[in-house]
Amino acid sequence: SETVYECPDYKTAGENSCFFSKNDTSIWVNYNITVVATNVLGRTFSDPVDIDVVYIVMPNPPEEVRVSVTQKTDWPFLRVSWEPPKKADTRSGWITLIYEVRIQLENEDEWEVHPAGQQKVFNIFSPRSGGTYQVQVRCKPDHGFWSEWSPSTYVKVPDYFPREKSMWILIVVFSAFIFFIFSWLIYMNIYSLKHCLLPPVPGPKIKGFDKQLKNGKSEDIFSSLVVSDFPPTTSNYEDFLVEYLEVYVPEERELIMEDSKELQDSLKSENSTCDNDSGRGSCDSHTLLIDKGGCDKEDGLQSDQEGSQPEMDSKRHEEAPEEELLEYSHGNVHSPDISSEKVKSWPSLFSPLPQYSLSPVNQPSPPEMGKQHCLSDSLFAPDALSSYCTQPGPSTKTDFRSNYWECNFNHKQSHPLHPQTAAHEHLQAQNDTIMACVEHIGAPLGVHVPNVRPTEYVEVQRVSDENMVLLHPVSSGQENSCTMRRQIEDYSRVTLNNDKGLLLLQSESMEEEMDMCPNEEEMVSRVTSNGYTASITPTSQKSAAGINTSLPILDERAASGYVDTTTMFGLPTY
Amino acid sequence: MKAASICTNGQTGCHFISLANLFDRVIQHSARMHGISNDLHSEFELYFLPSKNQIGRVSHNCHTSTILTPNGKENAQRIAREELTEVILKLLVAWRDPLWHFHQDMAQHHEFNNFSSNKSLEMSDMVHELRKGVQKVVEKMQMLGIISPSIGNLGTPEALLTSDSAEWRLMNDYDLLYCFRRDSNKIQHYLKILKCRIVPEHGC
Repeated sequence: SETVYECPDYKTAGENSCFFSKNDTSIWVNYNITVVATNVLGRTFSDPVDIDVVYIVMPNPPEEVRVSVTQKTDWPFLRVSWEPPKKADTRSGWITLIYEVRIQLENEDEWEVHPAGQQKVFNIFSPRSGGTYQVQVRCKPDHGFWSEWSPSTYVKVPDYFPREKSMWILIVVFSAFIFFIFSWLIYMNIYSLKHCLLPPVPGPKIKGFDKQLKNGKSEDIFSSLVVSDFPPTTSNYEDFLVEYLEVYVPEERELIMEDSKELQDSLKSENSTCDNDSGRGSCDSHTLLIDKGGCDKEDGLQSDQEGSQPEMDSKRHEEAPEEELLEYSHGNVHSPDISSEKVKSWPSLFSPLPQYSLSPVNQPSPPEMGKQHCLSDSLFAPDALSSYCTQPGPSTKTDFRSNYWECNFNHKQSHPLHPQTAAHEHLQAQNDTIMACVEHIGAPLGVHVPNVRPTEYVEVQRVSDENMVLLHPVSSGQENSCTMRRQIEDYSRVTLNNDKGLLLLQSESMEEEMDMCPNEEEMVSRVTSNGYTASITPTSQKSAAGINTSLPILDERAASGYVDTTTMFGLPTY
Repeated sequence: MKAASICTNGQTGCHFISLANLFDRVIQHSARMHGISNDLHSEFELYFLPSKNQIGRVSHNCHTSTILTPNGKENAQRIAREELTEVILKLLVAWRDPLWHFHQDMAQHHEFNNFSSNKSLEMSDMVHELRKGVQKVVEKMQMLGIISPSIGNLGTPEALLTSDSAEWRLMNDYDLLYCFRRDSNKIQHYLKILKCRIVPEHGC
């Protein structure tokens, strides 16, 4: 038909709109719509639009959208349900709507769209655990336009046990298990690993030095190696040199040493080894005793003399340089390591006189006041000696040397207590070689000895139990000890003035000598030095000659075999 | 010959299809048909634009305009089922020949692409299939006693051919498509309403 109907309603649909209600239109009718613009100048028509109502239907959005979480199984899912718009008559079948659902996770931008068809229920599977979803639905007729999206419906998915967390837990447990196994293996093999990675460093090995090195006291060790005062300076020269008697010990001395094992032990403990090292105490007679040919006695004597001389010089009284003094610098001067030297010095007393005298070469060219190895030297002033002793030759040191009397003191005598008896035996065995030149002592010293006699040698036979040294004169024959004793009447006893530390010779009656002759106790030089060693303070000229009794009688010193002069001397200096 | 139904109630070997199911099939078929016609019409508008300056060229003279069809939902619900069914059948019958000729023209004229040619053929076949289906439904309904058996005569081809045989030749193709699109839409709607009036428990 050609009927033109004007728009009945311009307001309902908004601005610039025309609303033809349902009464004004019918379905399956093709309408031509044009807009006519009219102004003063005229009218203009828009292009017509052919429509059929059926094909331009836009329904309302679905209603009553509901979302629920369904957990019928272990894994929950979302169930979305809705209703068609009320104005859409789908019940009569007049309009058929198809739906569309879209869902969005909270805080995300993308919608997940699901065509739903004509059904009014839709399931969404595998939602994120603990997530919040937003759901919307819209509809469309068969040949129409999509409706608007329905208002959002929110749903929160509860936290169910997610797969991701369980996997992480498995990984953590597994790795921890492996870690424990690995650490256990390392713990079991830690020692072998340590040995493999950090091999032990071999320590230093120096024979005789190992223990000290391992102890870590390297400073002490090396300090001990280095003799602080070596090379000896002139200032300290006298300090560390040992002065001691050197006595030639004949080869027979070895017997003595062998017999007395105790003595040997003590000597051995001294580690006496004979060598040419001048640093060690010059050849100790101890070594001489032990080694027959090994020791260079002469050298030792020389060195000893040399060494003794400075000491003598130092200690000599200034006024009496001629005085010869015997000095014993004992162990306290030296370090303990050199104690052996001092100990060895004692046996030097046993050096036989004749040997010494026979070998003047051995005699060094000492200074004037060379050290006298024998007590006798000290007893005499150089001048005196020359006068007293019938020594040929000039009053040289050499003469002095020869005039010394050798005290055949068994080194063992140094032990006051025990070895007395043995010492006596030893002494007896050495009648031949024992020469003792007993000097008269007692004069105010010194130099002048009133009774000058030709020097006679008194042989010390033994040492009695009372620490008495038995002396008997020794003649050329030396066969009859008794006769020899008779010849010497003056000296029958040697006593030690305890107060003064002097070893005094006292004359005794011959009868006593006679009586003692068989017993060989006539000549007794009693060394009542209880623990004293007769020594002389070299400070004064009048220092009494002290017989060097190799009797380090001090109990403390017994083992060491030397006597500390300092301890002895409670003596006032002369 | 009269086509005899193969299956009757109670016979073995027949697969019994419910009326609701039949309606659903028919409705889906009609929807499919309508969709194709709508597509063809849209394609025709691309190639054959109507003259914009023609004011008043409004109506399309469809040969089926003589068939009285309810023009709305209310009218369609108001008339009897038998009339509604007859209208559906009349429409389907009326469009069998024109669509076949249309297809012939499309094939001859290479103006359209193959897609359009195939659609016209499909559309022609669909009309034919749909008519058969609706007839099946009617028979079902008549068998169920839903409708009276008085409308069975319309299905005969002779009755259809005698009416309106020449008018459709006067339409051009565009009008033919336009008219068919509208009639297929009507058929779809009528079938839906009929279904919801007869078997409303399924999706209505």
